[in-house]
Amino acid sequence: MTTFRHQLVSPLQLAALAGAGMILLPLGYVTAQALSADPAVWSRLWTTRIPELLFNTVSLAASVAVITLALGVSTAWLITRVEFPGRRLWEGSLVLPLAMPTYVLAYVYSYLLGFGGPVEYLWQLVAGPQSRIFSPHSYWGATLVMALDTFPFVYLLSRSALLSMNVSFEEVARVSGVSRSSTFWRVTLPLMRPSIAAGVALVILYVVSDFGAVSMLRYQTLTYAVFQQMTGRSDNTAASILSLLLVVLALIFLITERWFRQRSRFYQTGGRYRSPERRRYGWFGTSIVTGYLGLIVSAAFALPALLLIQWSVSPEAQATLDSRFFGFFWNSGTLAACAATGGVLIGLPIAYLANRRPTLLNLGCLQAAYAGYVLPGPVAALAVLVLFTKLAPVFYGSVVILIVAYVIHFLPAGLQSLEPALQHMSPNLEEAARTLGLGMRDTWRRVTLPLVRNGFILAWVLMFLQTMKELPATLLLRPVGFDTLAIRVWMEASEEYYQLAAPSALLIVLLSLPALALLVSKDWRAA
Amino acid sequence: MPFVRSLSGLSHRTILSGFLLLFAAGLGFWSFVPSALAADPLTIYSGRSERLIKPVLDSFTANTGISVELLSSGTTELVNRLKAEGDRTPADLLITNDAGSLELARMAGLLYPLNMQEVEQAIPTQFRASDNAWIGLSGRFWVVVYNRTMVQPNQVKSLLDLADPKWKNKIAIPNSGSEYLQAGVSIIRATHGDEKTRQFLQGIKINADSQVYQKSSQIVDAVAKGQVALGIVNHYYVYRHLAVQPDAPIAVLIPDQQEGGMGAIMNVAGIGVVKSSKHLDSAKQLVEFLVAQAGQKLFADLDKEYPLRQDVKADPALVERNSFRAATIPLSKLAELREPTLVLIEQVGLR
Repeated sequence: MTTFRHQLVSPLQLAALAGAGMILLPLGYVTAQALSADPAVWSRLWTTRIPELLFNTVSLAASVAVITLALGVSTAWLITRVEFPGRRLWEGSLVLPLAMPTYVLAYVYSYLLGFGGPVEYLWQLVAGPQSRIFSPHSYWGATLVMALDTFPFVYLLSRSALLSMNVSFEEVARVSGVSRSSTFWRVTLPLMRPSIAAGVALVILYVVSDFGAVSMLRYQTLTYAVFQQMTGRSDNTAASILSLLLVVLALIFLITERWFRQRSRFYQTGGRYRSPERRRYGWFGTSIVTGYLGLIVSAAFALPALLLIQWSVSPEAQATLDSRFFGFFWNSGTLAACAATGGVLIGLPIAYLANRRPTLLNLGCLQAAYAGYVLPGPVAALAVLVLFTKLAPVFYGSVVILIVAYVIHFLPAGLQSLEPALQHMSPNLEEAARTLGLGMRDTWRRVTLPLVRNGFILAWVLMFLQTMKELPATLLLRPVGFDTLAIRVWMEASEEYYQLAAPSALLIVLLSLPALALLVSKDWRAA
Repeated sequence: MPFVRSLSGLSHRTILSGFLLLFAAGLGFWSFVPSALAADPLTIYSGRSERLIKPVLDSFTANTGISVELLSSGTTELVNRLKAEGDRTPADLLITNDAGSLELARMAGLLYPLNMQEVEQAIPTQFRASDNAWIGLSGRFWVVVYNRTMVQPNQVKSLLDLADPKWKNKIAIPNSGSEYLQAGVSIIRATHGDEKTRQFLQGIKINADSQVYQKSSQIVDAVAKGQVALGIVNHYYVYRHLAVQPDAPIAVLIPDQQEGGMGAIMNVAGIGVVKSSKHLDSAKQLVEFLVAQAGQKLFADLDKEYPLRQDVKADPALVERNSFRAATIPLSKLAELREPTLVLIEQVGLR
């Protein structure tokens, strides 16, 4: 009883509860608004928009999943099982597409594949002057862009699985006379299954909540429809109904991902690690492997990046690099810094309590903080908007509301770095320091903080960079005079001023690279 | 992680207090700086894109020394925002490209009725709110843009002709969120009734298929490239395209001019002063600037629209205003027509 009371009054506890409340309340409001909507609105949406939107969203997710599966697993297998010149270089560069925000890749591809664009020109040289290629503003266009942007998730997880797998299983199969390809299909692939499934679920979660690519390519998904409803209608009822559907859909994939991730843990720890033997191919095989990887990396990163550079140095683009441009850069930076700091401050008590005192309440707070995963940008914006207009309209249109939306949206990314840092911080270490004669303050300074510091920095940097490239919530909630780099890209690119959008886009890509390095270094050594 | 390692030289307290300082400084920056500066600039919410409004505002600033903060976004989005912000809104003025949205804002009590002689002399009554809470600044027409190599101008007489199955996969239309599509459909409904409008919408939905665009400039582009033969756009997008690429094979067709026809669908871009504005004098100064001869010329020409002031000539490239007739539905009715129009658009399932 005393411990219970003690927990309730602890300021840390209050902070954690407030943080969890801040995240759950908006979601609750949107849900309530959707459920209390006039049944006529529901039935109108069911008969008009919802079937199309659900079909579009699910079929896009499905095709992207299939393609990322093929790309991710094949590249991971080549990197881990084949030896060829420049292998380490390819190993790293396959992750680079993650530095491209989807809206940037989408706008580059709507130029490349667009009507009268360079790809069509090349195609007409081959297939005759009247022939057409598929439009980027279509199902296949959206599939291509999303697949190129997200296959590294599957690649990273498959690569880890292949590296940490106990190679004896494969060796036994080979010794028993099973062919190489049979071994792959019957032994290797089944062992990788949980990792692949986790990667694909991550991809699907990403596709379902993406706003950038689908809005650039005008492909109607639930996330895009929420944004359109919010900007085109005078009440938010329809937007909140679509949001609720979207949250449910995302939740299904999140749970799937969690479930497979847990299963994937269990064999990776078993078995003694030995690095797998890498085969060497002849010059022909080697050039095919290099060509295949080269094609993927250039389509997903190198070619778009080169185009952005070329556009950025064009005179039209150079003319925009005035003090206003640096204003946008500064806005992006300060907003992202505030959101990252707010995220760390709010995430810290939640993560600390869940790890140190894993009561039902504290674990509940932690799960609540992960809700951002199922709140795509426009939904997070809608949620915050609805909440603030009801509870604290003073902040409407101010920067506070935008930062709250960022924190809700990106806290999960931060928590994933904060949590392991706190898990390292076993109380035994502090106790040992105390018994060896260190005072409280010295223990805190010399033991506790050094242990958690890197996790903090990682969480901060990750949230900073995610916020930096965030688009939909910024579009919906930005205060007067607070255009960011992402907003500029969207404004210029959606009117097809490709050159003018390029400098901001390029800057976002460049700034994302260090975050990517941090993100990957966590997962890099798989074993 | 070399980056992290290089930071580990710093003491923990420096880093922690760095975090806190950054956060506090950020919050402080926003809570104090705007209020300290709030005395001067006018804040404008604009549904007209930055590219088309900023030069006019810059010229206003150059003339009067009054600086301007601009938030360019979607029209409906901005009206929603004004409603939600209520008296606390930083906005002093609302500029939109659609009279219906201005009228809705007026009906919601967001706008301040102006009693200014300059306005009454310059802008004809049919282009203003009954109480002058909003004032039209320039006129635009919803027209058909066609590719001259693919279509003869006599093939289309009315907007409703675009629903004909012979144009399957040959037309491009704006998305249903755009206020001028909503206004156009409202006027078609008021003229032809719901059933005929529904058939029209179903027809263009099928004909356009995936050629549904967020921006009208993209529609004109698609027509110029021959990706589609026809598009429905506001007239000025065509002239803006032609100003940059004079050789583009496109032309404007002003529809519904036949005997007994509806007349071309007109809308205005306009401005209203926000009721809670604390800079009423500067705001009025801007309105005055925009309805004066020079301002009208600047505002209309930048976007190749028709000035509403009778003594200001439109850009000579445009079709002579007196040579065609506009639909007769009053602009102020656009507001009450809006909601049933949206329901109809949604029922048809336009994107």
